[in-house]
Amino acid sequence: MTQAGISTASIAPLARPARPREDEKLWRWLSFSPALLLMLAMGALPLVNLLATSFFDVTWTSGSANWQPVGLAHYRELPADPLVAAGITNTVLFALGAVFGQLVLGLILALLVTRIPRGKVFFRALFILPILIPGIVVGAIWKLMLNYDFGLVNQLIGFAGLTAQDWLGDSGTALLSVIAVDIWHWTPFCFLLFLAGIEALPNDIYEASRMDGASPWQDFRYITLPLMIPTIAVTAAFRLVLAFKVFDEVYLLTGGGPGTATEVISFTLYQRFFTEDKVGYGAAMAIAVIFVISLLLIIGLQGRRLGRTA
Amino acid sequence: MPFTLNRRQALIGLGAATLASQARIGFAQTPAAPISIVINQSPWLASFSATVDLYQKETGNKVNLEVVPFDGMLEKQRNSVRASQGDYDILILNSGWFVEMYYGGFVTPITEIDPGFTLDPGIFTLGDTIYFDAEKKNMTPEGKLMTLPIQPNIPMLYYRGDLYQEKGLKVPETFEELFNNAKALQNPPQMYGIVQRGARGANTVSYDFYPYLFGMGGAVFKDQTAGDYSVVLNDDKGKAALDYYLNLAKEAGHPKTASQDQAQIVQALVTGHCAHASLVIAAYSTMDDPKQSAVVDKIEYAPTPHAPGLQPGPALGHWLGGVAHNVPDDRKRAAVAFLSWFQTRDAQIANLKAGGIPLNATVYEDPLADERQNRWMKPLAAALPHAINPYAFPEATEVVAVLELGLNRAIAGEITAVDALNSMSDDIYKIMEKYKYKTAELPKLTA
Repeated sequence: MTQAGISTASIAPLARPARPREDEKLWRWLSFSPALLLMLAMGALPLVNLLATSFFDVTWTSGSANWQPVGLAHYRELPADPLVAAGITNTVLFALGAVFGQLVLGLILALLVTRIPRGKVFFRALFILPILIPGIVVGAIWKLMLNYDFGLVNQLIGFAGLTAQDWLGDSGTALLSVIAVDIWHWTPFCFLLFLAGIEALPNDIYEASRMDGASPWQDFRYITLPLMIPTIAVTAAFRLVLAFKVFDEVYLLTGGGPGTATEVISFTLYQRFFTEDKVGYGAAMAIAVIFVISLLLIIGLQGRRLGRTA
Repeated sequence: MPFTLNRRQALIGLGAATLASQARIGFAQTPAAPISIVINQSPWLASFSATVDLYQKETGNKVNLEVVPFDGMLEKQRNSVRASQGDYDILILNSGWFVEMYYGGFVTPITEIDPGFTLDPGIFTLGDTIYFDAEKKNMTPEGKLMTLPIQPNIPMLYYRGDLYQEKGLKVPETFEELFNNAKALQNPPQMYGIVQRGARGANTVSYDFYPYLFGMGGAVFKDQTAGDYSVVLNDDKGKAALDYYLNLAKEAGHPKTASQDQAQIVQALVTGHCAHASLVIAAYSTMDDPKQSAVVDKIEYAPTPHAPGLQPGPALGHWLGGVAHNVPDDRKRAAVAFLSWFQTRDAQIANLKAGGIPLNATVYEDPLADERQNRWMKPLAAALPHAINPYAFPEATEVVAVLELGLNRAIAGEITAVDALNSMSDDIYKIMEKYKYKTAELPKLTA
């Protein structure tokens, strides 16, 4: 039988990909298995161990560990823990506030640097400086800057005739201060990604819009922003995941205080697991945190996929 | 044939005999095994290090100091003692976690390693925290000798002697006198009458609050030594102590007491902006260091105040040296040899001269204690016998976390003193009940 002069019998073998032979499949699995086993050992085993620990109470006597099974008791305790409740609320506020600030500032800086004709390298280097500073140094810098008695910030607002504030010690300003420090520290990350994204946008669209008489705002609103959505989505997802894990800034600047004003979930976890040595309970808290962060990551990636489809 | 030696043979023989005798001396003084001590980066590290150097010079024994920041110290020690073989022979244990190490069986009693070991009678036993009875779960001299004090740290009242002289003030013994003096010197922001350590931390505001609580006759638990962990924090004395503490901060203290930590108090003192502070004695060396202080020779020391008719109640913030359970026997013996030397009067005189705080009471009777730079010694010697161990059970960190949060919230004005005391007592009661201690709680305080 022929169709348009071509024998179907002659094209059939070409259309169907050749099926791998059994020994080839086996060879593929064999060559892949070391990497798979390594990944399992590095990633899954600690998680399984953490999960198993979360069902026990661990105490020490005569130099040996005693493992007492407690079932789901630790998971049931979590919602009643006042620090966990405060930690979740503050972590969400911190993550949303900090990431929003970083995205907006990062985008503005990237747009400004793209438009300057000369000195791009200088400004790029200048803006990424904070990201190069180790967290411990960031903590020291800002602890001094925000000090009530002799901090630079209070001295500056003193020159302006305003009253000194206890930025890190007042319940009303402590979390905002930590968010501001995080924005200062991590905006360069967003700036770098946005700058790369903007510089990769096709020029011909902008040329066409200029020929149509579009204003710079219209350029941004109808060309740059829509084309940058995937980059913004990925940056936001990365930053959200990192912001949910915030620890060093809180630990160094406020220690979770005053009261529970800056208590974040990683800090609570640190206290319960390490300071108080409640290994089982801390493991349950860690599993819960990992679950939430994984969920966020999945949502973020799904969002990116939907963005691409759109 | 008579046995004769010529001069050359005689000289060779004499030389050989000398060498042999030297070898015997060397054998008799076989150096102990090298040991490793884990210690935190602290203001007294330099003096301890100098004393260790002297030990090495005198004995030829080798000691390695593993210096770690305070924050990572407990984790390092936990990791070492929970391994099959430990990295550190001597653990320098803080008052915050030595009980955990005793209960966990991580410290080998000194007298089990060397049954002939005798404690120098001059050594401060610091609330008998150097002993532990594993069966009765208490710390009395009837228990085994577990550790030796390394640093007898307690809070003392630091005050500006020059300002006292100027204003004709009397050194405060009671809380009322402290309040009046602090109020008299309060002139913010140039001078704060007192700066309290009100921030929330690992053992920050609670440690600052204990001398007020204990000095007013209050306590967290009814009788720990007798095993009665009934929570009495929210009794009348607890209420009086917290009311006083808050009022002192409000009337004569720093306007932002809720965010003041130890580093900030030291800063306020050395920059000349603080008239009083309750601070660990280990910080004394900073006060007279012209490189770090603007108030050289102006700070004086006194035991923390108390209510009339009572004694001072400084809480122990001391450091103890214990031998890890999971190190080889020869290293355990070498560790005890070091501790045995360290407790002697001579070693403690050397420790003092290097800037340390002696742990042997006889040193406080030495003429050195009368020297101007050592003016903190007599008040410290007077306060040390009253030092109180706040916690004698291994789950204390959970109780401290509750106190840190509740006290900090009260100081920050988030909740009232009554609410803070009631909620803290309730949480502490739940902790003690969970771990099956004999406990009870008082009726709630009413405003």
